[in-house]
Amino acid sequence: MARAKVEQQQPATGMTLIVMVGLAIAFLLFMAFLNVVKSGNLLSETNLLFATLVFYSGAGALYLGFGVTGTGSYVKFASLATWLGLLANTAAIAHRWYESGHAPFSSVYEMLLSFVWTLAVLTLVAEKKYGVKVIGTVTMPVAIVGVVLMQLLRTEVHPLVPALQSTWLHVHVTLAMLAYAACALSFALAMMFLIQDHLQTDTVLAVTSASTLAIYASVVLTRFEKWGGLSLVAWDPERKAEVFLSKGVRLFVTIPDLGWLMMLTLLVVASPLVFYGLARWKGNPGFLTLANRAVFLSILLQVMTLIVFIVRARDGRYPSLDAEGLFPTTLAASPFILSGLVGGVFISLLYLLLLWRRPDLERLLPSADALDRITYKTVCLAFPLLTLMIASGAYWANQTWGSYWSWDPKETWAAITWLVYAGYLHMRITRGWRGRRAAYFAILGFAVVMFTFFGVTYLLPGLHAYA
Amino acid sequence: MGVNLAALAHKTWRTIASIQSGVVLLILVVILSAVGTIVLQRPATDPDEMQSAYSPQALRIMDAVGLTDVFHAWWFLGLMLLVSLCIVAASIDRFPNSWRYFSRPYKYPDASFRRALHPQKSLAIADEESGLVAAERALHSLGFKPERVVREDHFAIFAERHRISELAVYIVHASLLLIFFGTIVDGLWGWRGTLNLNEGQTSNMVELRDGSTRTLPFAIRCDAAGQENYQDGTPKKWWSKLAVVEAGRDVKKKEIVVNDPLLYSGVRFYQSSYGPNGKIDKLALVATPSNGSGQKQEIGLALNDSVSLDADTTVRFAEFFPDYAIRDGQVYKKSNYLENPAAHLVVTSKSARKDFDVWFPPLDEVADNSKAPYQLHATDLKMGHFTGLQVSHEPGQWGVWSGVVLIGIGLAFVFYVVHMRFWAVPVCDPKTGKYSLWIGGTANRNRDAFEQRFNHLVELVEEELKTVPPASRSGQVVTVAGN
Repeated sequence: MARAKVEQQQPATGMTLIVMVGLAIAFLLFMAFLNVVKSGNLLSETNLLFATLVFYSGAGALYLGFGVTGTGSYVKFASLATWLGLLANTAAIAHRWYESGHAPFSSVYEMLLSFVWTLAVLTLVAEKKYGVKVIGTVTMPVAIVGVVLMQLLRTEVHPLVPALQSTWLHVHVTLAMLAYAACALSFALAMMFLIQDHLQTDTVLAVTSASTLAIYASVVLTRFEKWGGLSLVAWDPERKAEVFLSKGVRLFVTIPDLGWLMMLTLLVVASPLVFYGLARWKGNPGFLTLANRAVFLSILLQVMTLIVFIVRARDGRYPSLDAEGLFPTTLAASPFILSGLVGGVFISLLYLLLLWRRPDLERLLPSADALDRITYKTVCLAFPLLTLMIASGAYWANQTWGSYWSWDPKETWAAITWLVYAGYLHMRITRGWRGRRAAYFAILGFAVVMFTFFGVTYLLPGLHAYA
Repeated sequence: MGVNLAALAHKTWRTIASIQSGVVLLILVVILSAVGTIVLQRPATDPDEMQSAYSPQALRIMDAVGLTDVFHAWWFLGLMLLVSLCIVAASIDRFPNSWRYFSRPYKYPDASFRRALHPQKSLAIADEESGLVAAERALHSLGFKPERVVREDHFAIFAERHRISELAVYIVHASLLLIFFGTIVDGLWGWRGTLNLNEGQTSNMVELRDGSTRTLPFAIRCDAAGQENYQDGTPKKWWSKLAVVEAGRDVKKKEIVVNDPLLYSGVRFYQSSYGPNGKIDKLALVATPSNGSGQKQEIGLALNDSVSLDADTTVRFAEFFPDYAIRDGQVYKKSNYLENPAAHLVVTSKSARKDFDVWFPPLDEVADNSKAPYQLHATDLKMGHFTGLQVSHEPGQWGVWSGVVLIGIGLAFVFYVVHMRFWAVPVCDPKTGKYSLWIGGTANRNRDAFEQRFNHLVELVEEELKTVPPASRSGQVVTVAGN
């Protein structure tokens, strides 16, 4: 099955992809136009966000097309689409800023808006200044996931609670976004370095499979209910907020049968790892072919799970184990599961890209040496930004809570991020760590950044609760 | 024995100063801090919540080893001290080398250095002097101040920029130590607490984090406090008008809001909350005689006030519950929030020598309102408010802020200020007797950008060489060499 697919994936000739993406963008914009005509309001935030999504998706598809075929003209159109998306994104930020009267940094939604913006800017910078053209293949899908998440999270303008009314908020959050985007870039560059550094394709297979397995395992372990249901947080559509039974205790609803589907996907997702283990143990490369087929199968199943999840969790009322009656839920109530599922599909697809088009990728990317140097440079950019972000946060905390450091989880994790990157710099400068080890370190650093950004907000309690 | 001790001390020093121990300590700090964010921490978490989250045995063990207050545990402080020690030792260990490098720049490159250096370039020149002049002019045009170095009978041109960059990493490490020093000073002599004031109240007692009370040498009075809301009801602004009272007179007044504290003699007062204090300001009532004869009266009562309704009867406002609950015929306070208020009034008749209990709302299981000589109806209720202040004294924070500024400057130097050096040496080939100008350069970071700069310099030197007349200065060369 995978073989057959490989044969179909001959380099697309000339303009096919551009025309297809162009048509898709035109179609979506036309749909949006109909919507505008109906609502009579062109510059609403929803429309701007929609335009952002459309252009970023187009850019992502074209960058991916470039990654697959190596056709140089794709990049030009991809850049153009990124520029247009950036324009819409900027307009969305400006609109929100104007409407709320404060810079858009006060909620997860607003921060995502700024994060995606910074990511797009840095992608263009990396492309124009350093010639890393394929970087959009990684950063644009991240931006797309960001915009999709934004569509789900609540969007009403929230007034600022007293603690957030400070100029230091803007300084602090701007620095944070810049630093995190620089970290994201160093992560993407480190991944590309690993490809250029002849990291074995089957090692990537194992890592891909293990990551998707981790995603599904954490969903199944925490949310699988008896009779094969999947429990999700209940959502109050009136207040646009999660439903709490008591302080800190959320109400969960159970979607029947979805748990079984998750379990099945978990098994299929685990199978490439099993085949990989067999191949290493028996020394029989035949198992690797099986493993690659299993990856292909797992992508189909993952997409199916994602679709079923979206269809069932988007709306509808479901029973709960903790309370009588039926309760509504929505995708916005489960942002983590959704991004996990989307992320799983995305990394599996990236693996397929690597499997099928590795020589092309290697030809297109800058040399391993250059990538290593640029990764280091981005960390050199990120580290002072992280330092200033922590310092401005401390100063602000001192103005607001009367203490510059109170070991709040977000603060502590920001310090941990700082320490990880400090470790990277020390090992690189004094021990001469180059190449692989430095790349792994950069990847670890970004993982910690992601945990600080999302994990701490949702999983750990603290003063940063509103962001 | 003495030798052994010295050897041991040396070995210990090497271990502390090594990068390995630094990294091990960093990893330990990372792991323990992560644990501190995952395990619920005292005193931020309610004791009840702690007990429901962990089993009693686990909680006892975690309390004993300090896992429930990681960041104030002795072992965490010890670890931070070790980290500081490690930074100091590593800096002391490496500083002499850097200092030598800094204070005695390497100006005349010898033959082996010239062989190994990258980037380098050799240009054919007519004689020594024309090469030196061309190199000087090219460096001048790039904004450098080249100097001529004479070593025995050889000449060289040396130019450099931003030598301070070599020491920048020590600035960063020193500022980290300064920050640590500031936090240690705060840990030893600083304190933090809360002070809740009702409007009009004066107090100098601050309740500290550990539950003890600290008496300030001056007092704080809250003249007024309030809250402004957005249209949707979420709070927009909390404010308090505070006055500092010392020796009986007001020495300072300020209206504070969140993010804008009051500072007096090293103690800061921050607005942190505002809300009902659960105390009633005034209760408005309408009283009608139970026997139907006589006038309706409107009265207003503060807590513990009493008012006479007629010659025989008085009413006293005895108790108030902002949020009440009844158990076994007794009324209890559930919370300080005005959720479910109850007021207890006592109507006293002198002639009957009897007290009648009246409750709002009527609580039949506690008292029968109808027996009293007056029928009372509550019409309005005004609640008192308190302003919540965070109080802190942080004598070490100046160390922290100067450390923060220094670390910013230091990092800017570490990452963006490049120490670059250029050398130009006229070399005579002993076999052919022809001269060439050896040009070399080095930078301590960002080497690929430096290489472009170097190539640019080489181009400039080549151009200058074309314009320098070869023979004109040859006489001067002889005199200089003769010196």
